[in-house]
Order: sequence, then structure tokens, then C-alpha cells
Amino acid sequence: MDELYLDNIDEFVNDHNKIVTYKSLSLALGVHVNTAKQMLYHYLEHKRKESSPQLHATYLVTGKFVGNGQTCHKVSIVREDQLEDFKSKMSLIVSVHVYSVQKALLKDSGPLYSVDYDAVKDNLKNCSKYSAIRCAGAEPMSPLELQQTLKVQIHPQPEPESSGTNRGTNTTSKSNTKPQKGIMGMFSNKPAVKNTSNEVKPEQKEDTAVVCPLLLLVLVVFAILLKVVPCSPQPCEKQDSAAAVQHQKDSRSKTKRVEDADSEEEKMDKKKRRRIKRPDPDSSDEDVIPDSPQPKESQPREISPKKEKTETGRSGMKVRKRRRVLKSQTYLDDDGCMVTEKGFVSESYSESEDDFQASKPAQRESSKAKPNLSSKDDDKKSQKKAPANSNKGAKQASIVGFFQKK
Amino acid sequence: MTTLTRQDLNFGRVVADVLCEFLEVAVHLILYVREVYPSGIFQKRKKYNIPVKMSCHPDLNQYIQDTLLCIKPLIEKNDAEKVVVVIVDKDHRPVERFVFEICQPPLLSISSDSLLSHVEQLLRAFILKISVCDAVLTSNPPGCSFSVLVHTRDAATRNMEKVQVMKDFPWIVADEQEVHMKEPRLVPLKSMTSDIIKMQLYVEERAQKT
Repeated sequence: MDELYLDNIDEFVNDHNKIVTYKSLSLALGVHVNTAKQMLYHYLEHKRKESSPQLHATYLVTGKFVGNGQTCHKVSIVREDQLEDFKSKMSLIVSVHVYSVQKALLKDSGPLYSVDYDAVKDNLKNCSKYSAIRCAGAEPMSPLELQQTLKVQIHPQPEPESSGTNRGTNTTSKSNTKPQKGIMGMFSNKPAVKNTSNEVKPEQKEDTAVVCPLLLLVLVVFAILLKVVPCSPQPCEKQDSAAAVQHQKDSRSKTKRVEDADSEEEKMDKKKRRRIKRPDPDSSDEDVIPDSPQPKESQPREISPKKEKTETGRSGMKVRKRRRVLKSQTYLDDDGCMVTEKGFVSESYSESEDDFQASKPAQRESSKAKPNLSSKDDDKKSQKKAPANSNKGAKQASIVGFFQKK
Repeated sequence: MTTLTRQDLNFGRVVADVLCEFLEVAVHLILYVREVYPSGIFQKRKKYNIPVKMSCHPDLNQYIQDTLLCIKPLIEKNDAEKVVVVIVDKDHRPVERFVFEICQPPLLSISSDSLLSHVEQLLRAFILKISVCDAVLTSNPPGCSFSVLVHTRDAATRNMEKVQVMKDFPWIVADEQEVHMKEPRLVPLKSMTSDIIKMQLYVEERAQKT
């Protein structure tokens, strides 16, 4: 063995007054721990032969120890002056080797820990590089594997909550392909659901990004209830009457949601979002749905505190597009909301009652929505000129005049 | 990187807190290693992630705490030059003087990421050096006691009087024989340089202790 290590250890011990443990020596010189132990032993023997200043050493003793009638495997660090006494107490000695060499007589093992603490900390990534304890299966995870494990720990939590709702949310897109639940089958069998959900889009647009799995579950429940609605075609016909518009809108909207179904996945997602939003303010959805066949019975819907109702004339609130469902007329609003028009689509965004009143006669007009858009715009422009002279001081009168002429 | 000045009180307090904590650990360890008090009154504690010895005697602990409490204002204002732990024999003659020379930079730049960990590592090295100082020092005679001296700037002594009144902890001017030792043997132990403080520890040992 090269003798240079003796000088190195001598420098550490005598010049620097350091405590040299076999672990710190192996990390400092880059040798195996067993080699470091032999180095310390040779250094100790060499110095004691030279009768140099007194050196102190500690030993690591492992073996079987019988105490209180029980045999245990004991690992101890003992001072050199206590070594023989300790060895005599052991029933079986497995190994004895030098643990550390230092000039000072240590009173306790605290400094030994401090030495190894700093040595390991300085070589944190390679602290076990020269270790004799190895496990083939123990390998550090790569950063990619670490990220995956972290994701797995995070994902399982939302998964059980959304397991049922996701299936409901992915109805239109996956209902046909994954008939795992009856709910999925219901969505897939009802194309009207898509159209009705489109109405909910504008209202729930803001909420699309904040869909909660619990809300999705509510949506699924709501969809189950909606399935009852499309069975009766009568409410759809009755919705034509202006008086029953308000009531029928609710029923139609719900029927639409059940009957109509968009083929696009995005629309279905929006539908789901709408459905999610709708049940929140509507606490009596289950009560409302059975009333849909009878317009009279649907009146309670109006009374119910539904902020999402599109009846501007009543509440003067903002028009809720999803409420306005017409089979024949669906178009995108300026806000990008799906609106089914009965004639007052253009006024649907306004919040005044006049718009609602004007919308009533407008419902009797041609039911085509798209031409109405252009026609209304043109009519407004033309009729604004005509009644301008007659209705100079009343802006609302001009709008009324627009409808009256027709 | 943040540049602070001495006028920043928070910085002074941080340094004073860190240093006083360290001095408390160091004083206890010196008393244990130099066998000023029986080893039975010391119990193992943890500081800077390493085991250290600390006295469990209440009067001794209170004395050390009060001493460092009075020193803290001086360190905050950078008025303390040295903190000395003097071990005296039965005749009140100093046998050993553990001198902590303290110097704080007037202007510094702090990187909050690794500042405290680096300082902790340096302080840990100080503790380790105190633990093995037996190898370079001769043993003390029995019956020794200890005292703590603070070397301050001239203007700071007036503040010390005020602090004395407030703290109700008497500080007196040290005796000349405790301050200066005849022909001491200088044994350097450890020095450190960090962003917030510079400190070195050496021991002045009397040649003949008995």
C-alpha cells in the first residue's frame, strides 16, 4: 500500500488537530471504507511504534450481546481504553475496527457525529459511493420519474370524485363509445341534449373553466331527470303561444337539452357546463321537469328564483339564452351565446321591458332567426327614418313604431 | 442580493441574535470540555444539527443568559470587540482565556438563499474545535471558576451603565489581571469569515497553571 496516505492522515491529526473517522477519510481520499479502516489501523500502529505524541482512537464493535435474558445484535463505538472491557462482555464478536483517530481524548461521541455530518454534507451526492452497504434495487429516481410519482400522488385525489362526473361530462363525446353507465346511454340517445346545452353556453361561458367535479355529478343527475321531458311532444307545440312562452321556454329548454344533441364535443361540454350552472340556482329542477308537459304547471318555474330565466319582460333581468329554445331557430348572439329566437332575439340582450313587449309581436313574425337578424337591422334603419319625423321626442316610440308598422 | 448597512437595525439584531446563540452554546461547551463544572450537570442537546453539551443547572444557565442579554445591545451596535471567557483558579488568577474576537462589516450584501446555512456550517466548525481543544491545552487545576469579559469601545461603556440599570444585572470594570495575562501561550483554534460577521477564536493559556 502506498505510504502517502500516512502523511495525509498525520497532517489531519497533528497539524489540523482534526478527528479523522474512517468515513471522512474515505471521502477525503476517495477510497473504499474498508480501505480507510485499514489505513487508520496502519497509521495508528505506525505512530505508536515511533512513540510519537499520544494518539487516541475509537473502535466500532459489533456482535452478539446477551442482556436480560435476550440476545441482541449490538453495535457500539467505544474508546480504546474501554475496548477490552467491552469485548469481554460480548457473547460473540462479529467485527472490530478502528472508527476514528484523534489527538484529544473524547469525552463523548458528539464530535464524531459532527465530523461525519460535515463530511457527508460536503459529499452529499457521493456519500455512499465508497460505502460497503449496497442495495442493487436502491437507485435514485430520475427527475422524470420523480415528477410522475408526484403527479400520481396528486391525481388520485380528484379522480374518485370526478370518476362519476367525468363520465357525465364526456357524455356526448364518449357516451356512444363508453356506455358504461346508464347516464352515458341517456346522453347518447338524446341528440336534443346538445342543442339545449348550447343555450346554456352563453350563460355558463364564464363558468366553463371552473367546472367542479361535484357540479358535474349534479349535471349527471339533472340529465337523468331531463330524460323524462322529451317523452311529451305537446309542450313543444304549446310554446308557440306568446302567453305560454315563458313557461314553455323552461320546458323547451329542458326538452331541448334532452332531445337535441350536438355532434360537436365542445358544444356538449358547454351544455354540461350550462347544466351545471342551472341546477345551482334552481333548487326545484326535479319539481319543474314533470310540469313541463303542462304549461300551466310550468308557471311555478317563473316564480322559482331562477336568475337564469330569460324573460326580460318580467324581471327586467338579462336575457338567458339557454331558456329560449326553439327548434327551428338557433344562432349565436353577439356575445357568442346560443339563442333560440321566438322573434325577439335581437332584444334579448336588452334589459328593458319594452323590448319584451316588442318581442311578443315579434314572435308572431317569421320564425326564421337569421333572416330576422338582417331584416330587423334593415327595418330598424328604414323605420327609424320613417318614424323619425313622427316620433321625434320619444325614442321608445320609434321602436314601438317599428313593430306597429308591421 | 440585498445590500444592507449598519444603520439597518434588523441586520444588527440578526447578527446579535445569531452571535448570542452561538456564544451561549460555546460557553456551555467550554465549561464542559475544560471541566470547570462536573460533567454530570451537562446534558446532551442539539444545536446546528449536532449534539452539544449544555448545563442543566438553573442558576448557571440564568447567569449565562443574563450575561449574553447584556452583551446583545453592544453587538447590535457593533460596540463589542471581544467577548472573553476567562477561567480562573482558586486565587482568581486567570488560567485560560477563550477570546472571541468579533468584527462586523459596515456594508454587506446578503444572499438570502445560503446565508444562514453557510454561517451555521462555520459555527459548527467552531463547536467542533472547542470540543477537541483538550488536545492543545493542558489540563486545569481543580476548583476553577469562570467569568465573562466584554471589550468595548469607549463610548459604549456609558451605554453599559444604562443597560446595567435597566437590566438590574451588575457589570463592573474588569480587573487588570483578568484582562491581561503575563506571557500567555497563544493557541489559535478557529477563525471564520462570512457575509454578516467575522470572528476568530484563540486561547491565551498561562504557561504554568499550577
